Amino acid sequence: MGNKQTTFTDEQLEAFQDCTFFTRKEILRLHARFRELAPHLVPLDFTNNPDVRVPPTLVVTMPELKENPFRDRIVATFSEDGLGNLSFNDFVDMFSALCELSPRELKTIYAFKIYDFNRDDFICEDDLQQTLNKLTKGELTAEEVTLVCQKVIEEADLDGDRKLSFSDFQNMISKAPDFLSNFHIRI
Amino acid sequence: METKLQIHDTGNGYPGDQQLLRLRRASSGQSHQNYPQFNQNSDPTEEEEEGVEEVDSSGPNVELRNTPLPMAIKRAVWKSQQMQDNRASSSKSWKQKNKKSLRNLRSITREAGQFFTLWGKSLQLIGGNFGGGVQSYFLFLRFLVILNFFSCLLIAGFVLIPSIIFRSVGTSLENSTGPEECMKYDPNPPGLVLFYNYFLDLLSGTGFMEYSYLFYGYYNNTQVAEESFSYNIPLAYLFTAVFYFAFCLICLIIRMGNAARVAVATGGSAVGSYSMIIFTGWDYGCLGDQATRLKQKNIHYQLQVDLEEEALSRRAASLTACQKIVHYTLRVVTFLIALGLNAAAFYGIFEATNFSQQNSGRAGFLGLFFEYLPSIAITTANFVVPLLCDQFALIERYSPSTTVILVLLRAVFLRLLSLGVLILTLWQQITCDGNANSRDCSLCKYNNKDYPCWETRVGQEMYKLTLFDFLVNLAVLVLVEFPRRIVVDHCPNKLVQWFGRQEFAVPHNVLGLVYGQTVVWTGALFCPLLPVINTIKFVILFYCKKITLFHNCRPALKTFRSTTSTIYFLVTLVFGWGLATVVMIYSLAEIQPSMGCGPFRFFPTMWSIVPTSFYNLSAVTQDFLFFIGSQAFSIPLFVFSCVVMCYFIALAAVYGKSVALLRTQLKLEGRDKKFLVRQIEELSRQLERPNANSGAHS
Repeated sequence: MGNKQTTFTDEQLEAFQDCTFFTRKEILRLHARFRELAPHLVPLDFTNNPDVRVPPTLVVTMPELKENPFRDRIVATFSEDGLGNLSFNDFVDMFSALCELSPRELKTIYAFKIYDFNRDDFICEDDLQQTLNKLTKGELTAEEVTLVCQKVIEEADLDGDRKLSFSDFQNMISKAPDFLSNFHIRI
Repeated sequence: METKLQIHDTGNGYPGDQQLLRLRRASSGQSHQNYPQFNQNSDPTEEEEEGVEEVDSSGPNVELRNTPLPMAIKRAVWKSQQMQDNRASSSKSWKQKNKKSLRNLRSITREAGQFFTLWGKSLQLIGGNFGGGVQSYFLFLRFLVILNFFSCLLIAGFVLIPSIIFRSVGTSLENSTGPEECMKYDPNPPGLVLFYNYFLDLLSGTGFMEYSYLFYGYYNNTQVAEESFSYNIPLAYLFTAVFYFAFCLICLIIRMGNAARVAVATGGSAVGSYSMIIFTGWDYGCLGDQATRLKQKNIHYQLQVDLEEEALSRRAASLTACQKIVHYTLRVVTFLIALGLNAAAFYGIFEATNFSQQNSGRAGFLGLFFEYLPSIAITTANFVVPLLCDQFALIERYSPSTTVILVLLRAVFLRLLSLGVLILTLWQQITCDGNANSRDCSLCKYNNKDYPCWETRVGQEMYKLTLFDFLVNLAVLVLVEFPRRIVVDHCPNKLVQWFGRQEFAVPHNVLGLVYGQTVVWTGALFCPLLPVINTIKFVILFYCKKITLFHNCRPALKTFRSTTSTIYFLVTLVFGWGLATVVMIYSLAEIQPSMGCGPFRFFPTMWSIVPTSFYNLSAVTQDFLFFIGSQAFSIPLFVFSCVVMCYFIALAAVYGKSVALLRTQLKLEGRDKKFLVRQIEELSRQLERPNANSGAHS
């Protein structure tokens, strides 16, 4: 193919192709989107692996993420420093994990991390309340929220410690038919 | 000392989740250590090497893209793998070249697939703005378009094109004897044909359209048999029809299998499970802030519905015996009323069809109205009866999810049975109530006075049904939906605003599609070009529905679950297919084909051409086919398929048992984990206390 792009070396593109679910064209398109977020910050030439990070306030302006109530958590989960500053590696990783071809196991792992607000490897009742509030934008009353969170823990908690570990979460997700089609960002 | 507690290795080959979570967490800087025995280092290079070792040790089958490692680590692993491969032997480098070319091939096919996917971008837009339920309707429509397109290729290739060729070449018909009366068939009435008659003929399939490739009557029973080439049109017609049905069934089953696999794997859990709504309810592909607000309202609504259902079930459990009896009596009464309404609708269709058949010769627009009377009756019945039955739903007080399913079932039942009543009425007229000795049917075994070519007449009815369905859809679009939107947008009246823009009613539209496809299947034997017409109709319908969706509709508050609903659509379609198959089998096997027209004109039944042609085959083929049909082959085949089925049933039972076992094991391991953690904490406390004591003393 005679594409004379100078954004990445061939080796870099091959690495990206093997490490993500994207084709060559899609990776170049992602780079263009990444550059759109901060044109003065992101260079055109990535051949020498520049260490550029886009702050989360810019990333969540993307139309795919703008309306998602969990956008801050998504960006924070995939960032290396945990605060949401995404390098291009993290950016590609994020969209690869959430794309159509990504397998259920991978999506489950990342979903668990996204919903774990306090990052203690458990989804406790507090995490659940925050999730529910983000989902319904405060439309439910406080007692409805507590009721629903208790029901969730009743349904999904298998080992009886009143919070969801990863295996509880994975077990519950495996029974959800809509998970794969809903946990999917098209880019 | 490192004691890693592995909870149930995933078995995919890559390391357990605890270790990977630790890797990502450590590199993200914040680490809340739950278990004191975890490895405390957070040195990134050591992490990288550890990651590299662990991934490498699990074997080369691990796909890097499936591992939940950060991208930087994945690239480092990839680089080390590349360096290993470069040093590898020639056989391994050949494997690498293979892998690379395979990967290129895969990316090329994926891009080609994206290019060739029909309407891919539109479907993505629809899904993002209106949700999975509406998108599933359009996916279903696209599936039907593709199915119809391949069917018309099939029919064109095996029936239409050979007929055109042989007719233009001018091969003569086979002559045969038969009662003179029965062979009279004159589709083109003599005399002056007025201009507007062409338009009327187009709409009702009579006149110039009747004696054309559109209908069964035009095809001849040419049987070409030259030295190198032989083609038997009647046999081709029959086998194409049978194969068309089999092909459609196979496509349906394959598509159902894909959808059912997901449903079975997820165990078919109850609708409205709270945890599922919260964790999987949000569609991450949602675009636009209006859709987002509605999605939030939707989730809120779903949760409310579930809370309400619980309250309802609690109330139902607390009813006294007397109230329960009243409740159930009410339900039985409403069921009987609904049944009565359906029966009235069927009787109306029966009468309309009879009236239409008796007055079929009329000219002009009144004649057209009489021709379309059955279609009008069916459409009216399908509109009025569900409307009335919905009012009863308030009395019945089923839970919301049961109500939805009941409404759907009733609508499906009504639609398919009304079509069945129409066909039954036609059959009655054609075969004089199945009585071969009655006055009209004694000569030709069918009513040749009213139906000189009965197959064409049945084909015409199906053609009219298809056309009318299409016209009604367009009329509703133009006359109801657009004006409604204009009124809602420009009239500030409160009543109008409460009425609001309409929602896209997915079940109603899907039933329309199922009905249209069932009509096409029923009519395909008698009107071979009906799949072509249907393909064009569905393509136009797709664009019309898309336009009305984006301009006139607001996203629905109560949504449809997209994954399980696909199965329901396909199951309904299979019911329609079943009805059409019954009609086809009966027409093939039982009714005398018309003697004045068509490819089967001198056979006692349509199927009888198969035994006749059978004896023209070579002796070897005959012996082979006899052998397959004989007991020596079929009984061992039957036994073998029973064994295979028992094997799969046993396998499924074993899997179910192992799932239950593993689940209890998970619970026990969780309790063990808690116990051990408590023990360790106690031990560490005991160790600290002597140290503190000794420290205090010294």
